[in-house]
Amino acid sequence: MSLLNVNVKPSRTACWTLSWLLFATGIVLYFYTAQKRHKENPDDRVVPTLAQLAAGIYQAAMSPDGDEAPAAQVQGQSAFGRFHTSMLWTDTVASSRRFFYGLALLFPAVLLGLHMGIFPYFGVFFLRFILFFDKIIALSVLPILFIAFGIDELSKVMLIVIGVTPTIILDTFNLTKGVPPEQLVKGFTLGASDFDVAYRVVLKQIWPRVLNSIRLNLKPLMLFLFAGEMIASTDGLAYRIALLRRHMGMNIIIPYVLWVAFLLFLVDLTMRLLNKKLHPWFREA
Amino acid sequence: MVPGSLTSAAPAVLDTPLCEDHPLIRLENIHVSYALKDGTWKKVLNGIDLDIRPGEFISVVGQTGCGKSTLLRLVLGSEMPTEGSVLVEDREIRRPDRDRGYVPQKYSLFPDKTVSGNITFGLEVEEFSLLTRFTPQFYKRRREFRAEAMRQLIKMGLHESDAAKYPDQLSGGMQQRVAIAQALVMKPKILLMDEAFSALDPGTRAGMQKLIRNVWKETGTTVLFVTHNIAEALHLATRVIVLAKNPDADGSCIALDLPVPDHEFAGDYAALAARIEQATGHMRVDAS
Repeated sequence: MSLLNVNVKPSRTACWTLSWLLFATGIVLYFYTAQKRHKENPDDRVVPTLAQLAAGIYQAAMSPDGDEAPAAQVQGQSAFGRFHTSMLWTDTVASSRRFFYGLALLFPAVLLGLHMGIFPYFGVFFLRFILFFDKIIALSVLPILFIAFGIDELSKVMLIVIGVTPTIILDTFNLTKGVPPEQLVKGFTLGASDFDVAYRVVLKQIWPRVLNSIRLNLKPLMLFLFAGEMIASTDGLAYRIALLRRHMGMNIIIPYVLWVAFLLFLVDLTMRLLNKKLHPWFREA
Repeated sequence: MVPGSLTSAAPAVLDTPLCEDHPLIRLENIHVSYALKDGTWKKVLNGIDLDIRPGEFISVVGQTGCGKSTLLRLVLGSEMPTEGSVLVEDREIRRPDRDRGYVPQKYSLFPDKTVSGNITFGLEVEEFSLLTRFTPQFYKRRREFRAEAMRQLIKMGLHESDAAKYPDQLSGGMQQRVAIAQALVMKPKILLMDEAFSALDPGTRAGMQKLIRNVWKETGTTVLFVTHNIAEALHLATRVIVLAKNPDADGSCIALDLPVPDHEFAGDYAALAARIEQATGHMRVDAS
């Protein structure tokens, strides 16, 4: 059996083993390196051991942010209460709030893309500008955003808007243009108005693909959010990672990175399942 | 007959209200040209005049690129002529509307809606706007719409259990049956079918031909049926419009208007088929 055979079908066991192999290799390599470094230097903080990681996770999930409340204040609280005031939780809430503001602002972008694709005058008015806007590197305008909107929440949300919305607008525009003209004509012959055709024919057909496009843009969205938080913020997951970097707090940074990946995975999974549930007719190409 | 002229024995004076001899559709001196990338123009239709009376079944045949579908789109209102005018009930048409049902070859159904949803779509948009469709009245009426959809479905030879299926779960023939039901539920004056049966296998196609013929007889709807199959055109229609290359060799198409005799006159039928074959060049009467 050749591994480079196009017509081969891997068995169930082979699929399972191969798909987890890189994860297992990564974990083994990590702990091998950690052990080796700790043998040479017991105070090494670059590659924390399992015990150091566990202590870091406990500290992040059970201790409040040092700036917010002194540890003595939460001594008598339950585990749930302590988690609720922990830095991991407060950072997650702060980042999630910004994330969902950014996500919510993508919906007007979808409507703009839809109208651009359906109504020709709308399209010619916006298309050239959006195409230009799409080429602007969002991070390059970060200083302008901080000057224009201050260093509060608005500038971070605006960074997400500038970074992700042009892509979503253009994606929706292209998806709208991809709807066969027969479908539009059919809608009109069934008595639909222009807006009926836009919302009840086209939007309903492209919606699962638009959701997919938003789902695939979650990572850029998080990237811009993290950039904003790392530069100017007093809370949030990226703020914490940036802060701990100064103290070489790898035992907390690594769990934070994995936590962010896990949260993003959850949002991605939820969106995929919702898409499947809400649009049973939709088959991905 | 003068090539390019299709005005048959319709009266010259237009009477209102519409009588049977009064044309329902009138194409007056239609010219259609498309701009090419090199800046020149390609003439497709050249001075077509055509009157279609209510209740007629018109087949349009012709070689590929002769403007069959263009002619249909002109009546549909999704395309405007470069010159001339298209009138339906003496009103110039500017866009597709609910008085003209449409069954294309592909994409005839909305993929996001079930069979029932596809059929009731027209009824729903007619009565309920985007906002009023969330009122209790809508849900009450929707039950009636669904009952109507079920009646149409059975009339088209489909089963009640097909109502909950999505278009991609149906065969090509079933999809076209649903598309016809979807169009007919709006009670259009004109049914426009663009190569609607072209993608079907011969058996299914024969069944669909029988179905559309019965629907036409029952409803009396005027049908404009575009096909590249001469046998199908002759089998279905009361009149055949043949689009053929202009002998003046400017690349555009002219039209021949051929009334179809009753089918029992086999001699006339064969002669007519031969005439169409001759007019369309290489097109042959294929078995349908």
